[in-house]
Amino acid sequence: MTVKIVTDSTSDLTPEIASKLGITVVPLYVHFGSKVYQDGVDLTTEDFYQQLEQSNILPTTASPSPGNFSEVYDKLAKEAGEILVINISSKLSASYKAAVEGKELMQRRCQVEVIDSHSAIAGLGLITVSAAKAAQAGGSLDEVTDVVRSSMRRVDFRIAFDTLEYLKRGGRIGKAQAFLGSVLKMNPILTIRDGVAEGVIRVRSRAKAMDYLYDFAMGFPHIEEMAVEHATTPDEAEKLAERLSAKLPREHIYRMKVSSVIGTHVGPHVLGVGVLPSE
Amino acid sequence: MKKAKTISGQDLRGTFAAATDWLEKSISDIDALNVFPVPDGDTGTNMFLTMHSAIEEVNRCTDRKISSIGEAVARGSLMGARGNSGVILSQIWHGFAKSLDTKETMDGNDLARALLQASETAYKALGNPVEGTMLTVIREAASAAQKHAASSDGDPISVLEAAVDAAQKAVANTPNLLAVLREAGVVDAGGQGLYTLLEGALLYLKGELKLMQSSKSRMIASSLPVAARISEKANEQERSYGYCTQFILKGKKLDPSNLRKKLKNKGQSLIVVGDESTVRVHIHTTDPDNVIRYASSLGTLDDINIRDMDEQHQDFLSMQKDRTPALDMAVVAVANGEGLGDVFVSLGASAIVPGGQTMNPSTSDLLQAVEAVPSHKIIILPNNKNILLTAQQLPSLTNKSIRVVATETIPQGVTALLAFDAKSDLETNIKLMTEAKSTVETIEITRATRSIRVNGLDIKKGQAIGLLDGKLLAASDDTSDIVIELLKRTELNGDEVISIYYGADTEESEAMAVSAIIRQQHPKVQVEVINGAQPHYNFIVGIE
Repeated sequence: MTVKIVTDSTSDLTPEIASKLGITVVPLYVHFGSKVYQDGVDLTTEDFYQQLEQSNILPTTASPSPGNFSEVYDKLAKEAGEILVINISSKLSASYKAAVEGKELMQRRCQVEVIDSHSAIAGLGLITVSAAKAAQAGGSLDEVTDVVRSSMRRVDFRIAFDTLEYLKRGGRIGKAQAFLGSVLKMNPILTIRDGVAEGVIRVRSRAKAMDYLYDFAMGFPHIEEMAVEHATTPDEAEKLAERLSAKLPREHIYRMKVSSVIGTHVGPHVLGVGVLPSE
Repeated sequence: MKKAKTISGQDLRGTFAAATDWLEKSISDIDALNVFPVPDGDTGTNMFLTMHSAIEEVNRCTDRKISSIGEAVARGSLMGARGNSGVILSQIWHGFAKSLDTKETMDGNDLARALLQASETAYKALGNPVEGTMLTVIREAASAAQKHAASSDGDPISVLEAAVDAAQKAVANTPNLLAVLREAGVVDAGGQGLYTLLEGALLYLKGELKLMQSSKSRMIASSLPVAARISEKANEQERSYGYCTQFILKGKKLDPSNLRKKLKNKGQSLIVVGDESTVRVHIHTTDPDNVIRYASSLGTLDDINIRDMDEQHQDFLSMQKDRTPALDMAVVAVANGEGLGDVFVSLGASAIVPGGQTMNPSTSDLLQAVEAVPSHKIIILPNNKNILLTAQQLPSLTNKSIRVVATETIPQGVTALLAFDAKSDLETNIKLMTEAKSTVETIEITRATRSIRVNGLDIKKGQAIGLLDGKLLAASDDTSDIVIELLKRTELNGDEVISIYYGADTEESEAMAVSAIIRQQHPKVQVEVINGAQPHYNFIVGIE
């Protein structure tokens, strides 16, 4: 039996990618005023950003409950004896904690391993992809866990922002605080290090930001996995993926989308590149 | 608010409440300034709590008379006074309320009188009033209010405006009056708190509610030519501040003025007040035993308080160090123009050296900044060809590791600073920053100081002249024309970022007009207009 791979919706994996790799995605919650949505289930990226633009109210997010996780575990336990759960950094969300607590509520017997990825977004997405491929190749729980830990060490990504306002408002700005307050208009490029957001560099225009993302990815000698993700600008992402096909064939580049949960915290227009370099 | 000639009790209610809310937003900013008398970091908190108590008392007051509201504020702040600053604040309101007597409303003259009474009461109540604190600020504010009320039409808002303006200047000047502030490079926390309250009151009375919601009080910078976040250090060897020594001397037939004469040479900040039976003494001295011994010979001492000010200072320094994580490496930038300085600071420069009147800082100006920044490795951005040589003198004058990235213009300095990465080592940063500075082109527009013929151009004195990367290439009577002309020479692709820093002699509207023309000609180019407030150069334009 193959190990079942579970992650949460902050991994920004599209339903297509998830189903192809047999990954189960547990959605976080997005609150728009009094309405509560399940990220990626009844609120897509496109719908979310449309609502964001039209609404006066700022959305908020919430982690899945332990019960949400235990339900998934019980369902998967019908077909497998081993489950590996990979969550967003525990410094950014209670999702990891809920996933751990979910184990206590399980009704079926099954071995469940829960890992705090210390990452999110494209980083978490690529870590999960590598785990899923190892599982599909027949790896044991221990072997797949090793793959995850190795991926966690190697994965790297950069997200280009237009504004840090959303990150600041949502309280997840972390060390990228240093980038606030510039008199000049800046396009900050961020990543996640030690489980929190961190500013990498500031560039002066969108065009330069895209060049930076391209240079970042091209700088790796050998790439195992690559992802390009967008929020509201699919054309830019497509253009970037085209340019990056010089490094990795176009069909191997995962096209991810900023989930509504992540979107609440990063806002529109973000563009990101994730890389899992070969060992 | 209506353009009223008088302030009613209701108005005053709202004013105090709004001023308190305004102060609340700046609590931590003001706490961080707290150096004097004890750097215990709670002036902001104390002043807010004092005001909060005052507001609660006001809310219990049902009377409409302005004098009743004043009394409630005085009573509430007295009962809830916290800390040194809270007590002084309560005395200010005590005097303020006393002056209002039984009035129903208050006009400009009433306000001026109330501020004066507030000042006098505060000074009187203190056994040892010290200049360079809240007292100086209320005194200056009251004085300005008096002057203005005498010549104005009695409009209280304009009187308050004059008071707030004077308060701001007084706060900025506090480091000049009080050594500990000067050394720490900060303005007086209590003074800033009082300014913030007055500022909040003014904004409320002017009806600026939206502004009050969306922003907070301006923290006033010291008027000393200090670089950002550092203090001006005396260039003699470390002097000891000694001990803050206070006591009450009780006796018979005491002579305060004679005592003052005798103690004058024994220390600084001497205050002797009292009468023939009770005298309060305050002095900063390196030999408190001597002072105490002398005073004991005149009578009995009471309420003796001796504080080690050096220790306080060290505590403050370590508190500051904890607040700002010490960077191993820092960048010091030369920028003449307040707005330009702000740009560099906002991008992470640890200190700014202003150019001074001649626009060129001296070696010792640069050295001061270098020594005062806590880091051991310092990168200097001269941002001017003339300063390069001066900057290069530094390595031989200090133990710190100094490197200079030879930026010749402000835009070069900005791009170099953007390339700085605190995580990389010094060599890598020098490389990155040097590479970065060559990716930007600079246009500078200034006025010709004399008629001259150069580069094939006939230039008349007073004409606007344009330089592209240091080369004088255009002259015209119209500054905007030159910007556009020189831009043509830069061969824009269309995806550049253009930053227009307009100078102190230039109107924002002119800068916006230039920006509009550029955007019209190159729709895809990103154009930004910044108030650099620099002297001499009408425009400095960076093209990245």
